Amino acid sequence: MRRKAGAVGVHERSWITIRELNREPIHMKKLLALGMALLMSTSAIGTAAAQATNNNPLSDVRVRQALAYAIDMQTIIDTIFDGNAIKAVGMLPNGPFKNPDLNPYDYDPDKARELLKEAGWDSNRTLEMVYYYDDQITANLMQALQAYFADVGVNMNARLLTGDVAKTLGAIPPNPTDKSLVSWDLGYGARAAIVMQEYYNDYATGKASSDQFPGTPEMDAAIAATNASTDPQKQKEAFFAIEKLMNDNVYTIPLYYQKLYTVESDRLNRNGAPYGNEQFNYNWDIQNWTVEADASGKHVFYTNGAPVDYFEHPWANLGLWVGNRFVFDRLLFANPTMTGVAGGDLAETYTISDDGKTVTLTLRDNIKWHDGEPITVDDVTWSFEAALFVPNLHGVVGKTLNSLEGAADYVAKKAEHISGISTEGNTITLKFATLDPNVLISLSQFAPLPKKYFEGTDPTVLQQNAFWQKPVGSGPFKVDTVAFGDYASLLPFDDYFLGKPKIDQVVAFASADGDVNMVKNAAANRIDFAITKVTSDVKALEEMPHMKLTPMDIPYTRMMWINTYDK
Amino acid sequence: MLAYVIRRVLIMIPMAVAISFLVYVGLDATPGDAVSFMLSPEQMSGANPERLEELREALGLNQPLFVRYFIWLGGLLQGNFGYTLTGGVPISDLLARRLPATLELAAVALVLSTVFGSILGIISALRRGTATDNTLTVVGMVGVSIPEFFFGLVAITVFALNLGWLPVGGRSMPQYVTFWDRLPHLVMPALVLSIMMTAGVMRYARAAMLDALNKDFIKTARSKGLPEWRVNLLHGFRVALTPVVVLIGFRLPALIGGSVIVEQVFQWPGVGSLFVLSVRNQDYPVVMAIALISVVTVLVVSVVIDVLTAIIDPRVRLGN
Repeated sequence: MRRKAGAVGVHERSWITIRELNREPIHMKKLLALGMALLMSTSAIGTAAAQATNNNPLSDVRVRQALAYAIDMQTIIDTIFDGNAIKAVGMLPNGPFKNPDLNPYDYDPDKARELLKEAGWDSNRTLEMVYYYDDQITANLMQALQAYFADVGVNMNARLLTGDVAKTLGAIPPNPTDKSLVSWDLGYGARAAIVMQEYYNDYATGKASSDQFPGTPEMDAAIAATNASTDPQKQKEAFFAIEKLMNDNVYTIPLYYQKLYTVESDRLNRNGAPYGNEQFNYNWDIQNWTVEADASGKHVFYTNGAPVDYFEHPWANLGLWVGNRFVFDRLLFANPTMTGVAGGDLAETYTISDDGKTVTLTLRDNIKWHDGEPITVDDVTWSFEAALFVPNLHGVVGKTLNSLEGAADYVAKKAEHISGISTEGNTITLKFATLDPNVLISLSQFAPLPKKYFEGTDPTVLQQNAFWQKPVGSGPFKVDTVAFGDYASLLPFDDYFLGKPKIDQVVAFASADGDVNMVKNAAANRIDFAITKVTSDVKALEEMPHMKLTPMDIPYTRMMWINTYDK
Repeated sequence: MLAYVIRRVLIMIPMAVAISFLVYVGLDATPGDAVSFMLSPEQMSGANPERLEELREALGLNQPLFVRYFIWLGGLLQGNFGYTLTGGVPISDLLARRLPATLELAAVALVLSTVFGSILGIISALRRGTATDNTLTVVGMVGVSIPEFFFGLVAITVFALNLGWLPVGGRSMPQYVTFWDRLPHLVMPALVLSIMMTAGVMRYARAAMLDALNKDFIKTARSKGLPEWRVNLLHGFRVALTPVVVLIGFRLPALIGGSVIVEQVFQWPGVGSLFVLSVRNQDYPVVMAIALISVVTVLVVSVVIDVLTAIIDPRVRLGN
């Protein structure tokens, strides 16, 4: 349940003080941070227009940089997060696209005060911070940020958003120079990405999103560059440039990279299957996983993520929930870290043209739906077309499908079908009007649905179809029985093209994202596999000798958005 | 009495409509709608606003408040609760699978709390001022004061995790067939739910019994030489039962609405957890259906209590 909406008043005493947060001697940190800040300051200030660009003082880069310097993120991670996070330097996660030449904005309150003074900061002004996570850790983080900002002379109130959160965060004026439509100044949120472009596409001019950045020609050009090529080297250069631009101008303050933990019992044996980004889909080889037999000799695998009242369609939260993970297969297999494609899934083979604008997929001959009917190219093409009308289609998949030739006419209902999709035998050809550098990753996350169950259904209300009470899928397990809100039972699919799974039965307990009962169920031997990002869960699970935790660095950045629209 | 019951039933109809309208207006006044809750803020930035508007239109959310309310009411009069906005599930199906879970839990908790609460209350009254009375009074106060979630978590820790006697939560498992298979799942939530109710019934029963035992007719009964047990149970307890019945009766609607906390702690798939989820998702057809059931239950129970009170206490005359 959400916490009651409330503000953390600036005049109230914060029970987390900066001194309490700092476990190490503060003078050493100051010296190190100051040295780093001095090294970085010339380039940082020099590349940005060091003045407010409108009536909002947050449009002044010096104020934004000051806020970044004011936060001792490492201490917050060590204390509030028990070390279960990584300080963010740049928006993108650590990896091949990380620009090594970024200012880390290490904690330097003196530098922050200096920048605020230069910018003429009005210390009577109070910033409004909004957030939508209702957990205690976030509340603690808000209090810590409030204390850090107060220490450099910036007042801040924090408010938990309830109600229409997305609209409160993402509404933007029609013109980038118009007054802001939202009242808040700072927003705390996250980006869970499959592909690196997801971090920046929302910053384009005119794009409504929580970052509340009006856009600049430089950013628009940099965003276009990251989407202009499938060549990893060119992409790397483009991401280095855009990260530098963001880093210098601090349009958003990246706070930390969240870790994802795979939670497994000692009954489970993955038999060498790789670990990857479990929030999305990759070839995790589950048909070869085994669990120890119970007293009756049955190999039952316990997990969570069963539906509360209906199975969610697999085109929104791509790899979450038991249905998405076990019941449906995709067209291609991504590699575990989502950095490319490992091979064919329902499509046995695929090709991509040199210019990246034509993709062919050839379906396997022997693939079947759980009702025994063959999976056909008609099912796949219908799925592509239907998905374009589904309101909560995942953004990455949506971008791919909208890039197809004729997609715009089809969506505008000027054409009966998407002209860029054609079929011949078992082969589907996709022609794109504009390059989508992530087309293969999209296809690795896209699960076709059986067309015949949706005859006469308006795709806009696809989720409201009775199919989702007991979906017929294509994956290694089929839906057996469901007690909604209690559990779902899945059985191995005999005709699964990679072989019948070795597990006799999957029993999944109903849960939402962030399962509040997972620790309790794990303690009672009712969890063999789950994932979590919750620090308190991690702490509790680490104390259970029969549970194993495997941390994964995933593209999941928690950040502080800064509203730089005019006010 | 029949005329009284008919009159009360007829009054119930406009009352139920009025209350349902108030609930509807209240729900509509909260920010956002079901569509805005279908997407997380992180998904929202990737969503196409036109698609969202199309969904709102398809679900009828763009209609004015009164139109939506009367469409809902019209459906209800035809016996149609409608469909959930988020998943398109027929609400009658949803209630059909959730209500039995809640009723099962409520019935067991109600029986346990009524039986034990009444017995302990009578004992406490008959042993007034003794160590037994004082102990039961303290236990009753503790039972009333400590929240259900605390008892729930303690019970899970002791009986499920440490001793392993009972399942940690849920109502069933795939291999279960009969009620007796599911019984171990019911024990803890039913007992925890009944603790607070037992304490309440006990306090009421004690006070009512003490009051009754001071009446003249009790003295008369004793002076006639009736055995003490007969004086206490047949004469005293019968009168003391009236306020207890009222208390138990008014507990019933709350139980039908579901015990939200107990259902959450024990992962019990009942109406209470559905109600919380639906309010959060602004799935107003579901909220309205549950609210209406609760309202009707309250109204029906109030009539039933009146009738029962008249049966228990012949001095009560209905309709006067």
